[in-house]
Amino acid sequence: MQSFDALLNESSKAHGHLCPGQVVGVRMAMLGCRLIELDEPTRRDQIKKLIVYVEMDRCTADAVAHVTGVKLGRRSLKFVDYGIMAATFVNLETGKAFRVLSTEEARDLACAYAPDVAGKGDRQLEAYRRMPDSVLFRVQKVRVNLDACDLPGPTRYKAVCSRCGQVIRDRREYLVDGAPVCRPCSEDCYFSHAREVSWPNMDWSPPAPSDPEPPRQAPARCGLVSVS
Amino acid sequence: MTAEREVAVLKKIDVKDAVGTRLAHDITEIRPGEFKGPAFTKGHEVCSEDICRLQKLGKNHLYLIDLEEDEIHENQAASILAAALAGEGIAWENQPKEGKIGLHAAFDGLLKVDAAALAAFNMVDEVMCATLHSHTLVKKGELVAATRAIPLVMKRAPVERAAAVAAQNGGAVRVAALKKVRAGIVVTGSEVFNGLIEDKFAPILSAKIADLGSQVAGVSLAPDNETRIAEAIADHLDNGCDLLILSGGMSVDPDDVTRKAIRKAGAQEVHYGAAALPGAMFLTAYIGDTPLLGVPACGLHHRTTVLDLILPRILAGERIGKKELAFIGHGGLCRDCAECSYPHCPFGKGM
Repeated sequence: MQSFDALLNESSKAHGHLCPGQVVGVRMAMLGCRLIELDEPTRRDQIKKLIVYVEMDRCTADAVAHVTGVKLGRRSLKFVDYGIMAATFVNLETGKAFRVLSTEEARDLACAYAPDVAGKGDRQLEAYRRMPDSVLFRVQKVRVNLDACDLPGPTRYKAVCSRCGQVIRDRREYLVDGAPVCRPCSEDCYFSHAREVSWPNMDWSPPAPSDPEPPRQAPARCGLVSVS
Repeated sequence: MTAEREVAVLKKIDVKDAVGTRLAHDITEIRPGEFKGPAFTKGHEVCSEDICRLQKLGKNHLYLIDLEEDEIHENQAASILAAALAGEGIAWENQPKEGKIGLHAAFDGLLKVDAAALAAFNMVDEVMCATLHSHTLVKKGELVAATRAIPLVMKRAPVERAAAVAAQNGGAVRVAALKKVRAGIVVTGSEVFNGLIEDKFAPILSAKIADLGSQVAGVSLAPDNETRIAEAIADHLDNGCDLLILSGGMSVDPDDVTRKAIRKAGAQEVHYGAAALPGAMFLTAYIGDTPLLGVPACGLHHRTTVLDLILPRILAGERIGKKELAFIGHGGLCRDCAECSYPHCPFGKGM
C-alpha cells in the first residue's frame, strides 16, 4: 500500500477537495485493510477478496472507496445508509470482518492534538493526522452474512415483477401473496407519482467513434420522473 | 469516563445472607477528618461478625461477582491502565486500593504529561486518570498521577483501547531527570560593568541554577556592546559550558544589544518574546545544541518569572522554541501575590 500522504493526495483529488473526512477515510481504509490482512487491496489478486460496507455517504466514504479500490458497480462497495461514520471490511477468502468506527470523541480532542492550528477545519484535519488509531477509531470484530446474491460476479437470479413486468436482479424483489413485486410497485420506494414522459432529442445516440459528434441543441425543459 | 452502566454479571444479595461469600471489591470507610480507607478488602470472606459493621457502613446489600470471559475486575483493569500510562521515571505498585493505582516519581525530575493522550484516555468510557500539571518539578516517591476503572466490572476491549491510547509515545505520564549542566552567566550592562552599580542578577540566577542541581561554571560581566557580549558568550562556550544565561539588555532601548550579540556569537535559532508576565521579553536561542536564555530585567525583582517555567524544561532536555514560548500564555500571567506560593499556584500551568 502507498504511504498515507500519497493516498490522501490521490483520494482528495478524486473526491474534489481535502477535508477532515478524507483524512479519517484514508486512515479508516488503511486500518481496515491491515486488520483483514490485505496489504495491496487494489492489486488484481487482492481486489476480488475484498468487500467494504460504508455506513455513510460523506467524504469519508469516498476516501474509503478510493484507498480500497472497491466500487459500487463491482459489487465490492456496499452502501448501507445508517448515518454512522463506520465501514466494515470483509476478507472473502478468510471470512474475517472488522467494523471500524470513527470515534465521536476525536472531534472533541482535535484541540488537544493540534492546539497550534487555528480554524476548526484545519485543526481537525491536522489533529486527525496526528492521533493514533486508538483515539481515532473503535474496532469491532463482526460476522457478515453475505448472500450469494450479494457477491460480485454475474447476476445469479432474475425475477419479473408481477405488477409492472420489470426485471428484478439478485433477489431484490418482494413477495406479495407469493408473487414477486419490484420496489417501485411496493410501498417501500424512494420516489412516488411516477409517470412515463417523452423528452427532447429522443433519437440521440452516441456517434460512431470515427465521426465527430454533432453539436447538441440546448436542452429543453423536461421531466423524466416527477418528484413531489 | 462515562455514566454508570448496568453490569449483568453482578448479583445483589442481602448483607444478612452474605456470610461465607467473598467481597467483590474493597469497602471504603470514611470517618470525617480522621480516616478514609478500605474497611474490608476485595476477596475478604464475610463472617457473621462483619454484618453489623457492614450495615454501619451503609451496606445492606453486597454484590456477588461472576465474570464473563470478556470482562475484567476493576483491579485488573487498573493494573492494565497503570502499566500503559506509566512512562519512563514512573514507579507504581500493582496493589490497587479501592480500585485505584497511584503513579509515583521514580526519581527527582520534571513531570511530563502528554496532555492530548491523557485527554483521549479520559474520553474512553469507564476509565480515568488524573495527574499533576505537566512541567511540575517532582521529588522521588511523590504521587504524580492516579488511575482507576470506574465500574466494578467492565469489558476488556475499552480497557485495552484506553491502554493503547495511554501507551502512545512511551506512556502518557513520565518524569524526566534534570541534567546537571555547567552554566555560564553573562551579566550585561555598562552600568554594572563599569562599577556604577552592584550586580544583583548573578546571585539570583546562580541560586536558581543550584536549586535545580546544576552548577555555575563562571560569571562574566559585559558592557552594552555587541562584540564584548559575543566574546563573553564564546569564552563560556570555550570553557565547556552547556547552558548560557544572559541577563539584561533584552528590552527595546538603543543600549539593549544582547539579542544582536547572541546572533553575533553564532546563534542560528533565536526566539524572542514569551507569552508570560513577568517575562515577555525573554529569549531562547541555540548555538548548536547549547541553549542560551536571555532573562529580562524582571528577573531582578520578581521572585518567579518565565525563567522558572523554562529553565527546568531546558534541563529536562526539551528544546524550547516559538511554540513552547507561545503555549505558556494560558496560565502565564502571574498574580503577583503579596506572598508568592509558586509552584503551588496556577502560574505557567495552563498547558
